[in-house]
Amino acid sequence: MNRKQKSIFLRGLLAALAISAVFAGPVSASPAWNFEGKSLEGSEVILGAAFESALTIPGLTTKCENFLYKLTIKNEAGSGKGELTEMPLFNCTTDSPACAVKSIGAETLPWPAHLTKVEPSNYIVIEKAKVGIVYSGEECSLDGLLVRITGTAGGLIDNTAETASFNPASFSATKTELKALSSKAEWGGVFPTEAFQWHRNQALTAS
Amino acid sequence: MRKYLKTTGAVGVALALASLASFVVAGPASAKLTGEFTKFEFCPYKTVGVRRCINSLTSGGEVVLGSKKVPIEKPVTLQGGYEEAPEEGPEEGFAKFVEATNGVTLSKAPQNVPGGLAGIVPEASSPPLVKALIKFFFENSLTGVTSTLELAKPASEIRINETHLAEGLGVTLKLPVKVHLENPFLGKSCYVGSSSSPIKLELRPDTTSPPKPNEPISGNPGEVTFLESARILKLSGVELVDNAWSAPGPSGCGGILSFLVNPIISAQLGSTTAGHNSARLKNTIWEATAAAVKKNFETEK
Repeated sequence: MNRKQKSIFLRGLLAALAISAVFAGPVSASPAWNFEGKSLEGSEVILGAAFESALTIPGLTTKCENFLYKLTIKNEAGSGKGELTEMPLFNCTTDSPACAVKSIGAETLPWPAHLTKVEPSNYIVIEKAKVGIVYSGEECSLDGLLVRITGTAGGLIDNTAETASFNPASFSATKTELKALSSKAEWGGVFPTEAFQWHRNQALTAS
Repeated sequence: MRKYLKTTGAVGVALALASLASFVVAGPASAKLTGEFTKFEFCPYKTVGVRRCINSLTSGGEVVLGSKKVPIEKPVTLQGGYEEAPEEGPEEGFAKFVEATNGVTLSKAPQNVPGGLAGIVPEASSPPLVKALIKFFFENSLTGVTSTLELAKPASEIRINETHLAEGLGVTLKLPVKVHLENPFLGKSCYVGSSSSPIKLELRPDTTSPPKPNEPISGNPGEVTFLESARILKLSGVELVDNAWSAPGPSGCGGILSFLVNPIISAQLGSTTAGHNSARLKNTIWEATAAAVKKNFETEK
């Protein structure tokens, strides 16, 4: 390759890189899990209870006082991954005087999870989520019906507060969606991200 | 004393009549459902075994019978109640429908058949007698033909699967119907389908798997909203489809000339065997439990 050919090649390469950077958009390389600033090696278990959580299908909101979860996290090829293995839900109620929650539970666990970056923030995306709710109440229009909430949920990770927040903005940023009764369902919740195995009391960050 | 008794008696009778009259007047005024519950006016919610009330308004779509496509331009209402669905057996998940209290479970809305009589009975290929009659009717501008979807069986033969409706998957409504073709020339008894040989629509909000030459078509499960503090579930934009049904040939068309007219109409419709027909019904559906409707009624009394 002579000098002229090299020059053309380099210019082409630079142009290609510039174009790919433009088309890559705001989604950057996947972040990883870190404890005290060091990349997690092996796996860790995160246990927690939602500070607050509500699921809304237009006209009916369901809240659970006790929304627990167990998430196993690890890094794979430098990217943060995870598996939601348990999600017990207790003391759930609705905002309708006609409807009570007869039973509620996560189905087909574990649900895979991964970290993603949508500039300038990091998010955790829970995939293949499936929760079944049976409502009761003789006047409740869903009395006896099994309502399934399915889809993917994206939550904003706050490294300072050590929380993951799920809300319409985080769903929109991660292009994720939950559905119930064939309609879009809104899920809001704030979850602490604290390690409960090898890295207790260590600051967990996604970066 | 007698005068006093007589006066007292007259007053008593007048009072009794007045209270009776007020009761009669007050009666119908209080027997009303309110708000969104008025959709369930004709739900048999007092009937033992009725668990839910439903009102489904079809405001668009089309029915394709062989080569004839009839758009649904006039609204059709399916209303009534339904029982608890069996949890096992051949009808698992499919609840039995209960007739509307006014007897109009499926409202009759005659839809215009595009092309009218000319589109149903081709003048050129008709026998001379039929040709003469068509000419007579054409000249009298009575060429419009309507098609009405009617129940071919009692309402109790309708089946509804509320789980499939809620999830937007699978057969949701089984509807035995017949198509009533009406025009002075066709007479009053021109039907495709009958009570002994109904068109069995199995409508669904997802994708069909029809026999050829039809191709799969997709419905739409719609969007859910809750009304009256979640006592009423409203599904908007629901599209129920079926293009796997078959229809028998026409019968009773042309009155005493039916032996001549039935084959002509049959030829015009083309094949109506499975794979040649389709139905798409665009609906808004309201549902509530019978207990909620009853409570609304009693609260307003």
